[in-house]
Amino acid sequence: METLLPQMPEEQAHKPLAIVRLHKNAQLVLCCNTQASAWGIEPELSLSTALALCPDLLVLPRQLEQEQRHLQQLALVAYSFSPLVILYNDIGLWLEISGCHKLFKGYDTLLQDLEKRLRDQSITAINGIAQNPLAAQLLCQSSFQTQLPSSTAMQRNLLATDLTRLDTSHKQQQSFKQLGLNTLGDLFALPRSALSRRFDGQLMAIIQQLKSEKPFTATPFQPANIFHDVVQNPQGIFNKESLLFPMKGLLQRLCQYLTARQCHCLEIEWRFEPLIGEPQKMQMQLSGSQNNWSSLLTLSRLQLERLELPRSIEQISLYSEQFIEAPMGVFNLDLFGDQQSTQESCELIDRLNARLGIEALSQPILSEEYLPEQASTLGLPGVLSKSNIKDPSKAPQPLWLLTEPAPVQMRNQQLYWRQPLSIISGPERVCGNWWQSEQQRDYYLACDNKGARYWLFRETANQRWFVHGLFS
Amino acid sequence: MPNNNIAAVLTRTDTWRGRNRRSPRRTLSTGHRSLDLLLQGGWPVSSITELLPQQPGIGELSLLLPTLKYYADNNQLCVWLDPPYQPYAPALVGANIALNKLLLVRSKSHGEWLWAAEQSIRSGALLMAWTRQPSPRYADLRKLQLAAADSGNAAFLFSSPSKVLGSPSPVALRLELESLGVNQLLLTLHKMRGKAAGEKLALSLGEPWAQRTDLAMLPVDRHHGYLSNPILRLNG
Repeated sequence: METLLPQMPEEQAHKPLAIVRLHKNAQLVLCCNTQASAWGIEPELSLSTALALCPDLLVLPRQLEQEQRHLQQLALVAYSFSPLVILYNDIGLWLEISGCHKLFKGYDTLLQDLEKRLRDQSITAINGIAQNPLAAQLLCQSSFQTQLPSSTAMQRNLLATDLTRLDTSHKQQQSFKQLGLNTLGDLFALPRSALSRRFDGQLMAIIQQLKSEKPFTATPFQPANIFHDVVQNPQGIFNKESLLFPMKGLLQRLCQYLTARQCHCLEIEWRFEPLIGEPQKMQMQLSGSQNNWSSLLTLSRLQLERLELPRSIEQISLYSEQFIEAPMGVFNLDLFGDQQSTQESCELIDRLNARLGIEALSQPILSEEYLPEQASTLGLPGVLSKSNIKDPSKAPQPLWLLTEPAPVQMRNQQLYWRQPLSIISGPERVCGNWWQSEQQRDYYLACDNKGARYWLFRETANQRWFVHGLFS
Repeated sequence: MPNNNIAAVLTRTDTWRGRNRRSPRRTLSTGHRSLDLLLQGGWPVSSITELLPQQPGIGELSLLLPTLKYYADNNQLCVWLDPPYQPYAPALVGANIALNKLLLVRSKSHGEWLWAAEQSIRSGALLMAWTRQPSPRYADLRKLQLAAADSGNAAFLFSSPSKVLGSPSPVALRLELESLGVNQLLLTLHKMRGKAAGEKLALSLGEPWAQRTDLAMLPVDRHHGYLSNPILRLNG
């Protein structure tokens, strides 16, 4: 099956509109909308003639890059219907559907689903269905067929196809005319030897492919390695609320891409570009636990609240380059629901990250160091501790550590930090960093009159006392 | 024909239903037998617990270590919102708590604090939050209490008793913690659903350290030679 697509960017729909392309220094109309056709404009007309016919004609240059991106998006849509999608010359797609009969419970359902999907995304498409790709291309009709024609009807239609639709040189078309050949049926009726004498091998190959005698070879479509998509708004967007709609569209496309690749993204980057000035970037780190656009949109919205945006935004782009394979948990095969709590935790971290920023989140990390402030540090969440000390120190350890050791005063020969402290046990000597500046500390347990316990140390070098932690 | 709306209301835990109003209280064992008895089963889940330690360092964290371990073992996140100090990893590892299940969150404003607290409660995490200045308003606490009732998770709020005790609170349990000595806690019940306030309980969290050492009795550092009495040196 093939879906040939007229490449029309959907814009001001009510005015006569034509897309022009450059051909040998002349601008030719590539396609036009129905309003323009009413003025007598048709493809292959030169631009000056077209403007003479309709002075109000809105003319847009063809944008190949945009077309290609559009086609890639369509290929992604098609990829969710068939495992074998082939891009054809940047203007159309071939989908192999013979293997998808069972999945969609019938070809008609598949075609209806596909049509609905395309309609939802306001894409106009036409298609043709046949036993081989070339025939499908020739059988493309002016509308989208949602019913699979019978194979005899396919064959009949193919034979009735005008030879002018065949992709051959002008000279060849001339010789068809001279021979009185009008349809493919006329061509197929001739004996093979007579044809090969008159025409070149290229046409013979086409005929063989049309008759499914020769296999059709082409590289199938594969989703790109990175995701990049753009939405343009020539009018400009002035507030954050109205940004959300185009962002939603972009995220939906991202999710389509992720589904096609069966992976989750770890990072996405938004770029909000004004007409003049520097684009504003917004990077989002994700835990990779989720794949649905609505949660990504919620996260983006949370982070957007913290962002200063340019006054008017013309273009929004979305990039995503880091992916991980989708965990099996997506299908909830887990019997005891462990996976669910992990996913909930990941989602919570993502949300907190988006609203408060990554600097607000941390996790205690244990390292094999002697000095307490190096043994226990704070790191980014999700990073596992490098070492897992199986046999921790037998000496009592406090639960709270002061970020900076606080100096202890001496009052009346008594240690004093907030309140008078007295030593209850110790010392435990800790040495560290002997290769840099040697630190030797004697750690003591102290308590105050109310019973709170403190972790004090005395530096052996200068005999000063510090509070380093609280037993709690 | 069954009415779905009514069925949805009846499945809620906080719907009052005439006679059989004694719906089983959902609790989580505190890990201390006498405290479980006082609290009629343990920490209330699907409710906020307000803990009011007289001062930091008296054992308020050790009291929660069994709960922390329970949540971490169940693969659930434990969120520490605005803790006053940094948790010391070796001590937590010593208590067999998986460090990657702990998440420290620092908020920059009251709004952020409230939002982060609510999100944590609603996502099935154990919340341990230290209140900021100014103390959360009644409406804020009520919001968190409702979130906890919806999610069915335990959540702990640490506040200072002097600032909080005068004001009413929508939470289900309010406990004041005082120290009776090293490793000895005195818990005062200020509010609990289904029980009269004012009950007290002495709880031992470990061996009491009675012996206090005088500074003068500390071992002397002989490496530096100049010390015979460390106190002289310290005073100088």
